[in-house]
Amino acid sequence: MTDELEQLYQSTYTAVVRFLYRKVWDAERAEDLAQEVFVRALAHRPDKPRAWVFAVAANLARDEARSAMRRKRHLTLLKGDPISQPTVAPSADDTVEHDEQVASVQEALNTLTPRDREILLLWDAGLSYPEIAAQTGLAVGAVGTTLARARRRLVDAHDRQHAQTRNHAAHS
Amino acid sequence: MRHIPEDELHAYLDQGLSRSQCVEIESHLAGCPACQGARDGIAALRDRTTALLSRLAPTRGVPPGFDTLRRRAAEVAFQRRRRLQSVAWAASLVAAVALGWTGSSLTGDRAPVQAAQRQELPAPVPIAEPASRQAVAAAPPASASRAAMPAARQAPARRAPRHSPDSSATAADRAAVLAVLDPVPALELSPIDKPRADDSPELEGMWRTMSWDGAQAEAGTSVPHIGGLPIVRVQVQVSENVGQRPLMVVAQQLSSGQVIRTIEGPAPDVSQLLARRAMSDPDSAGSTADSTGPRGDGGAHSMAMQMGDRMLAITGALPTDSLLAMIRRMNAEMRSRR
Repeated sequence: MTDELEQLYQSTYTAVVRFLYRKVWDAERAEDLAQEVFVRALAHRPDKPRAWVFAVAANLARDEARSAMRRKRHLTLLKGDPISQPTVAPSADDTVEHDEQVASVQEALNTLTPRDREILLLWDAGLSYPEIAAQTGLAVGAVGTTLARARRRLVDAHDRQHAQTRNHAAHS
Repeated sequence: MRHIPEDELHAYLDQGLSRSQCVEIESHLAGCPACQGARDGIAALRDRTTALLSRLAPTRGVPPGFDTLRRRAAEVAFQRRRRLQSVAWAASLVAAVALGWTGSSLTGDRAPVQAAQRQELPAPVPIAEPASRQAVAAAPPASASRAAMPAARQAPARRAPRHSPDSSATAADRAAVLAVLDPVPALELSPIDKPRADDSPELEGMWRTMSWDGAQAEAGTSVPHIGGLPIVRVQVQVSENVGQRPLMVVAQQLSSGQVIRTIEGPAPDVSQLLARRAMSDPDSAGSTADSTGPRGDGGAHSMAMQMGDRMLAITGALPTDSLLAMIRRMNAEMRSRR
């Protein structure tokens, strides 16, 4: 018997990891959380597993962000450091360009409202309009409107940034 | 003719529209170059968004096999079960300690120590204070066949309420009820008195606590009980007549937390037990005077039914008509099993 969940795992694991990564910005942690999601699904056997998996992933990411915030606040109290934005640290020379690209998209994504960002990421993870609507409490008809706005903002923010960096490069 | 709004084109390209909506849009697009242009622009925007977001993908990622996750899920489930079991076990132990003393005050629970050793019962529970008051009052009416029990061997009196009253039926009790499902081994907690110097070896008709399975092995299908209620304790008094079925007392717990006992055995033994129980009752009522229980109408009632040379009885702090209904049902069940 091939498990329905196993098929879902094969088809969506990568999407779940990506979805989580765009929330926790830590590849390893995203994988841990994604596996946790599927372990929970095995215990729960939800009726609509695909939507369930992403709903639980979103919850885990939210919890993760909260505890990360708490940790950071704690560290800030200890060190007296200002809170820094989480960014991907450049590691080697050949990856610098890639990392800059990642950082620019990350920043563009951060300009979106939390709701627009959530819906865009759910769409990109492969959820359908009704699934997105069910998870976010939005009307199905409003999903298109939200996605239209989110896409426009993401691309605009990214283009603005790109123009700025080019200006900086030209002036220096 | 109105042009297609931007969000509808997004929904159209995202396949988020119904079939009829799609048909409507497609027929408009066929004849509207402006909307065709808008559609192409939005398609490009979608592609750019997807391309930008695809940069935000973790580089690593060899997913573990699904069996690994299955094992983890099984492990998690196992851990959870174990946690629940240990909680339930602790709760049932608490309940059993309370109920165990209750049971001992009904049946006398006078297992001689040598019997305890022979039958590998739990180690004797050391009792600091002699329960003299109850012991004197409950001194058994010595019959010819049964040796009189010395007062000092009387089961210890405890300040635990005789019947778990409704008002104090705690979550632990309820958990215990859930944990002690029918049929389960009776909780092997028998308070046994300290050995006495002059252990009279002629003592017979001793009580012993046994498991549900053991009781069934000994008495076959005629272990008295009410189907569907959790079994708290099974006590057996071995008959001195070889071949005769023993005297059995089965304590069961109602969902309210009250304990009722069903007794089956040779008629003289059962009536003697009930008489002894009636005698010890006033005293134990005094000893639990501080407990807040619905003792109201004098606590436990008994109902007995003679079947040839055997007797079936039921005791519990329930209205007599409830007991009557129960004993009738039990009698019918036992007859049908035979």
